[in-house]
Amino acid sequence: MSAWVRELALGARLARSGGRGALTRVGLTALGVALGVALLLVAASLPQMMSARDERTGARFDLQFTDPPRAAAADTLLIADVNDRFRQEDVRGRLLRAEGPQAPVPPGLDRLPRAGELFVSPALAALLRSEEGALLRERLSQPIAGTIGDEGLAGPAELAWYRGSDDLRVAADSGAVRRIDRFGEPGEGDGLDPVLRVLAVVVLAALLLPVAVFVATAARFGGEARDRRLAALRLLGADMRMTRRIAAGEALVAALLGLLLGALIFLVVRRIAGDVTLFGLSVFPGDVRPSAGLALAVALGVPAAAVLVTLAALRGVVIDPLGAVRRARPRRRRVWWRLAVPLLGVVLLLPLIRGDGQAAADHEAQLAAGVVLVLVGVAALLPWVVEAAVHRLGGGGVSWQLATRRLQLDSGASARVVSGIAVAVAGAVALQTTFSGVEGGYVRGGGEMRVADVWTEGGGRPGAAAERLAAALRGAEGARTVAAIEHVAAEHGETSEVVRVSDCATLRRTARIERCADGDVFVLAELTALRPGSRVRLQGGAGWMIPRDARIVRRWRGSRDLDDGAASSIADPVIATPGALAGIRLPVRTAIASVALAGDGRDAIEHVRNAAARIDETATVAALGGRSYDREYANLRRALFAGAVAVLVLIGASMLVGALEQLRERRRPLAVLAAFGTPPAAIARSLLWQAAIPVALGLTLAVAAGAGLGAALLRMVGEPVGFDGASVAGLAATGAAVVLLVTAATLPALRRTLRPEGLRAE
Amino acid sequence: MSAAEPLLAAHELHKAFGPTPALDGASIEVAAGEVVAVMGPSGSGKSTLLHCLAGVVRPDAGSVRYRGRELTGCSDGELSALRRGEFGFVFQFGQLVPELSCVENVALPLRLDGLGRREAERRARAWLERLEVAELAGKTPGQVSGGEGQRVAVARALAAEPRVVFADEPTGALDSLNGEQVMRLLREAAQESGAAVVLVTHEPRVAAWSDREVVVRDGRTRATAAAGASA
Repeated sequence: MSAWVRELALGARLARSGGRGALTRVGLTALGVALGVALLLVAASLPQMMSARDERTGARFDLQFTDPPRAAAADTLLIADVNDRFRQEDVRGRLLRAEGPQAPVPPGLDRLPRAGELFVSPALAALLRSEEGALLRERLSQPIAGTIGDEGLAGPAELAWYRGSDDLRVAADSGAVRRIDRFGEPGEGDGLDPVLRVLAVVVLAALLLPVAVFVATAARFGGEARDRRLAALRLLGADMRMTRRIAAGEALVAALLGLLLGALIFLVVRRIAGDVTLFGLSVFPGDVRPSAGLALAVALGVPAAAVLVTLAALRGVVIDPLGAVRRARPRRRRVWWRLAVPLLGVVLLLPLIRGDGQAAADHEAQLAAGVVLVLVGVAALLPWVVEAAVHRLGGGGVSWQLATRRLQLDSGASARVVSGIAVAVAGAVALQTTFSGVEGGYVRGGGEMRVADVWTEGGGRPGAAAERLAAALRGAEGARTVAAIEHVAAEHGETSEVVRVSDCATLRRTARIERCADGDVFVLAELTALRPGSRVRLQGGAGWMIPRDARIVRRWRGSRDLDDGAASSIADPVIATPGALAGIRLPVRTAIASVALAGDGRDAIEHVRNAAARIDETATVAALGGRSYDREYANLRRALFAGAVAVLVLIGASMLVGALEQLRERRRPLAVLAAFGTPPAAIARSLLWQAAIPVALGLTLAVAAGAGLGAALLRMVGEPVGFDGASVAGLAATGAAVVLLVTAATLPALRRTLRPEGLRAE
Repeated sequence: MSAAEPLLAAHELHKAFGPTPALDGASIEVAAGEVVAVMGPSGSGKSTLLHCLAGVVRPDAGSVRYRGRELTGCSDGELSALRRGEFGFVFQFGQLVPELSCVENVALPLRLDGLGRREAERRARAWLERLEVAELAGKTPGQVSGGEGQRVAVARALAAEPRVVFADEPTGALDSLNGEQVMRLLREAAQESGAAVVLVTHEPRVAAWSDREVVVRDGRTRATAAAGASA
């Protein structure tokens, strides 16, 4: 045992005292391990980050369904949602009114705001103070009485507010104002829907595997120089087992250094996490903490993995005591186990390919294992594919020959590095394919913001709510055209119908109406079984007969100014002018206005929101157009892109270090090539081919595996299978760009390598 | 180039690496077909002299003329072309490209000179045969012994039929038997093709294969002496 320790310690000493070269290698390995460890620790913190976020959003949960409706009491609170957007950010707002002294206080507040008092999140306070927030200030102009604490926020960058109001009333036929007696529901939280959970699992797997590949690659840096050192030890009497343990000691030093450095990087990332909003995501530093088990697994697993990789690399090397290190004839790579890995993944995924995503979401572990195995399979298959492919390559110019022969001699190193890109691309292709498939359900609109729809509730005579809304919006800056209607729900036997009420000018936007006067009614017969003379029961209970002289009309088709807006494009089956319902007592109803926005709509939409808020704080405003995603979906996309950037940086750095290392180790043959007149450009091209061939093979394999995985995931969530060619092309171009950049970055070192100093034998 | 002018001539070469002078006024002349041994102790500057003569290293001062053409003013591209077409090289270690087979190594200068792969490899095989290592054609350098590797390197140096072969300690890593064999083959093959050989060595036994010796000490060349070729 003590001999083992001695030999490990000797390895550690050799790592420290091997001169600048050895220290550089230890540093590079440590850096690689550190980056991997830092990412792994961040990944290991994700469950805590998500559960802390869930806990906080669950604790402020304010929806309660009771039957019969809860009565006002000393412990009840009236609450109204005023969820809004400012620019591209969501703003969460709540109006509150206590009905008694024991009314619940939302998390993050020390007391309920009094009428007119505003409590805001720190991020919203900063925005309101800034010039950028000027348009938002118009609708949040009340004095700020306090700040919402962290426990009441999803993240530090969340824009949220609470305001006291003494106008809130619960209306029998409206859900706008609710009565609650507590905040929070056990087990509740924003959560992620099943489709998004499936995607999140894939994102995690697609990000972590390249990191694992990178750690494995980093542990092999400097392998040949180390082998020469071990050969010298063999000359001094060390046997093969001892040399392995000494090598393990060297690897341990680098891995432990990397572990420490990685932990430091993680602590720095954690410290700045609260200040950084990466692609709109923000977390509290306190939430970025790995669970003890996962942290221990990283702390033990990474050094162990580095040692195992070192020992595995030594298996292919015969270390000769005379100082010559000869690579044993490389063992032929076996395909059976490499193929078995992704096949096992497929076997795990197959049972989940059914249903609407619930099966997959209910079996997250199986899904994660399946996805990981398919992606690991890509990494495992790639060295075999590269080896098999390069052995069939021949012909070509000198640079091509140098590259292919080099790959034939040892394709493993290149394939290992490229495995990282391949896994990342396979994961990204799978995700892009899945994203594009489910996009329909999560993407709203497209193009620039052209139209805004405003929903509010109002009462009074028929048409009054729509007129009031239209009048308010017409005065808004940037509103070009406004059309407003009212919806009155109607029942016809077992079917629910809608009667649209508006003036003639607005009704003409919906249908081909030639003659129209107040009191007229029209039926879009193509949409309904209702006909002139049909009887319906209107919302609120009043009966109404569609006048027998109502005319049957058809919808407009083709592009019109407010085509996308709800007030002009949603075709309701019965459309009536206000006079047609005069005398009928109608309850509170929904008024909808569509507003054509001026310019790109960016400022106009904010003016429309301000105008709507002036007449109804709880009005809902939605911009049509302007690519806007459901927030969870958008967050996943952002996480994917952020992760892809990080992975590409890691893999690019790994490829670069590997290429530089290879240049250093091949200094003499390259200098000789230059000496007898090989143009540097030919050698540079050979380096380019050497990187490009495995990358091209890796990308092909990755695209095939990724598309297959994406198709399987789409089937799991019940979406039609499609293939996003543009994103695949984009990813392939990114891979090519990495190859070019890495090759370009090695050129200065190549020029130095080709200098005649490399020829000196003394 | 006049009939009396040497094939390759260096005059008053100076070269320093940082503060350390490697050449301090070295001069040498090499005639066509001549085998010249550059001798001297370790660190005397003989390899640097060879590198300057071959256009691998630019001297800080002095002149190098090849067939009447001044090399010190040539561009990198011109020097590379010259090395490809006119010069051949044999080094002590690592001179073969490890990933290429022996025949591909020998064919490499020919291919760099624009010859097609098939023809280049045909000629390369012929050279391997002349150097008595034809059976190594398909093997990689890692699969052959040191002496065999040096013979492949000699074949590569001569394959493009250069006018000058530069050999830097070509037998330095070989035992005496293999060293003798390599020198015999190098000398014979160079003689047959009419190439001059500039041979850097510190071993008198190797220098004995040359027609003439030039001694380098502290970066300066000393009076030369005639040496009888062993062959």
